[in-house]
Amino acid sequence: MSHSHKLVIKRSSMSRPPPPPPPTTNKDQQHQNPSFQEINIKLIQSGEKERLKELLRERLLECGWIDEMKALCRAFTRKKGRNNVTVDDLVHVISPKGRASVPNSVKAELLQRIRAFLASTAD
Amino acid sequence: MSGPNEDNNTQLSSHIFGDLLDSIIVDVASECHRIAKLGLDRNLEEEEEEMRLSAQARARVADPSNSSETNTKYVVDIFGQTHPSVATEIFECMNCGRSIAAGRFAPHLEKCMGKGRKARLKVTRSSTAAQNRYLRGSPVSTYSPYSNSTSTNRLSNGTPSVAGEEYSNGTYEEPWNKT
Repeated sequence: MSHSHKLVIKRSSMSRPPPPPPPTTNKDQQHQNPSFQEINIKLIQSGEKERLKELLRERLLECGWIDEMKALCRAFTRKKGRNNVTVDDLVHVISPKGRASVPNSVKAELLQRIRAFLASTAD
Repeated sequence: MSGPNEDNNTQLSSHIFGDLLDSIIVDVASECHRIAKLGLDRNLEEEEEEMRLSAQARARVADPSNSSETNTKYVVDIFGQTHPSVATEIFECMNCGRSIAAGRFAPHLEKCMGKGRKARLKVTRSSTAAQNRYLRGSPVSTYSPYSNSTSTNRLSNGTPSVAGEEYSNGTYEEPWNKT
């Protein structure tokens, strides 16, 4: 499947999400390459972003990913002490392992829905 | 659909996925932070308690100048070896993932697995309550409904849910499941 092949390449090259490109005033670019901001707005306004997020959350819950992350948090909290933990700490604890351990099937399903959405809103 | 456009779409999709995932990560972290701060995860404190008890047990075992009570429990086996009264080997609990001393494992499991029991007890109570309503209403019952229901309630509260369910359901287990 060429899709999964592309996925593998993309995953290894993206360790952190690139910051969203600044909104461009260049009309040509906006027409050909919808910026992330534009798509994001469409996602939110149509309610699709919320649906996608809930779908992702449900899948991650089913496969035990969320429980794994919670266990990591608990272990970190035990070590550092309950009152010394910050949300930022926990985010940094979970992020690398979390992004790497999403099951491929879950990722593929979400990407497919996102692409379908992009296609449906193509200019 | 041109080549570059497809690639752009793929990159965009991955970016959006990453955004969604980050959002969920922050949610999970925030929830765990809240649980930690509010002390809702009682396991946290119990863990410290258990580690203290494990350390205590190990100290008692290691200390040769113990009370005679402990010393008499040092059995010598056929190879002339003595075994400490409290097993000191540490391993990981498969339920919660914590490191527990073997000698402390049984009481730990009671609490660790017992956390799930509280939830199951509630289910038992509600299912027996449904059964009680059925029993009282049904004219065709071998047992007298009142005595059965009260004994059922007492049993399901006092005993582990599995045994309680089996006793209280008895022959009535099947009809429930089929309905």
